[in-house]
Amino acid sequence: MTPQPDTHLPSIEQTADLLSDIACELMSSGAHTMRILQNVSRMAENFGYHLDLSVFQLSVIITITDKDDSAKRLTLNKKTKPLLINYTFVSDLSTLSWDAYDKHLGYEEVKRRFHEVISQKRTSRWVILILVSLANASFCGLFKGDIYAIELVFLATLVGFFVRQEMLIHHVNLLVTYTTSAFVAGMIAGMGYVFHWGHTPEIALASCVLYHTPGVPLINSVLDIIEGHVLTGIARLVNASSLIVCTAIGLFTALLILGLDKL
Amino acid sequence: MITIELIQLMLLDGVMAAITAIGFAISSNPSRKAILVSALLAAFGHGLRYVLMQYGMEISISTFVVASLIGLLSILFARIIHCPAEVFSFPSLLPMIPGLFAYRTILSLIKFMQNTDVVKNQGFIMDFFHNGMTTLFVLLALVIGVTLPVLLFPKTSFSVTRRY
Repeated sequence: MTPQPDTHLPSIEQTADLLSDIACELMSSGAHTMRILQNVSRMAENFGYHLDLSVFQLSVIITITDKDDSAKRLTLNKKTKPLLINYTFVSDLSTLSWDAYDKHLGYEEVKRRFHEVISQKRTSRWVILILVSLANASFCGLFKGDIYAIELVFLATLVGFFVRQEMLIHHVNLLVTYTTSAFVAGMIAGMGYVFHWGHTPEIALASCVLYHTPGVPLINSVLDIIEGHVLTGIARLVNASSLIVCTAIGLFTALLILGLDKL
Repeated sequence: MITIELIQLMLLDGVMAAITAIGFAISSNPSRKAILVSALLAAFGHGLRYVLMQYGMEISISTFVVASLIGLLSILFARIIHCPAEVFSFPSLLPMIPGLFAYRTILSLIKFMQNTDVVKNQGFIMDFFHNGMTTLFVLLALVIGVTLPVLLFPKTSFSVTRRY
């Protein structure tokens, strides 16, 4: 009698490939390190493996060990994709990991549902453009800007965010993108000062670049540092801070060109 | 005293905060329900902070109080709609980002750099430290306030997406 290949149990290579794909997807969708670790460990548990994971900014390293036979082990180092925050993925993959753990889903089933999750479409970029512009305009309202300032901020964000979207599509360097987009928004919002529209042109200038706030990386970095993943946390913090610095540089270049610093 | 005017201003504040939260939530592509929850939490948070500050509470302390309340409520909502809490904690905090103070901090720094008048420069240094400290402390209050509940209930915050 020849030994039949077991179709139910995946090989260690297949498992490692799937788990590292999931970890990379979670990393580039903006999950914090503890969540990635817990989600992927749960799935490994389900397949009968023990998992160790290190997450860095550009790569994910996993080692899986067979629970019954510790000589069967595999280490894999995988490059992550650039950060594109997508909380639907984080949420759905987290649900999938619990489902796999509670219902003992097989390898094929987990793989199918993983591909189902990551093939979901994002919200249309035009909807995002309009909603972000409205959001930034009402930001100006929260800072007690008058109606002229609010309209100006809406326009500045519309153009600035469009520039950012276009540059991101053409894979321009992220820091250059942020600086340019902040510069464009600052130039438009500065027109309120130049032509003396309304009584609060200063507030228009202050709120026109707030759509650049890298909130998710900042919160993730604090969560990482608090939970003990200090190295990853600091990497995220440095990334977020350099984006903030670039935004400031772009805005103040616009101010210096318009000569508003003398006011 | 609670007057009609205060309530009106608070509601206006809440509506604007909700619009802000929706716009910033959608750029991180969450589910529809999560967007709704972040709008609600943002309106509640910013409205409450407005009232607290009207009664004379200091900005960083009131921000801390509101941020920890939002953290607690987002864990509660996370359990209800089965979605990780950090999905809506960031957009609902966003209306409280001290953008105006941050702008004034850098502006006073640039003015200090370009000016040579000693008396004026002392004023710019004062502005720089006042605005810079406010920015720093409000940001710290936001982040620490919202992560506090995650630290207090670690089990709950990792198992909200479990359905069985």
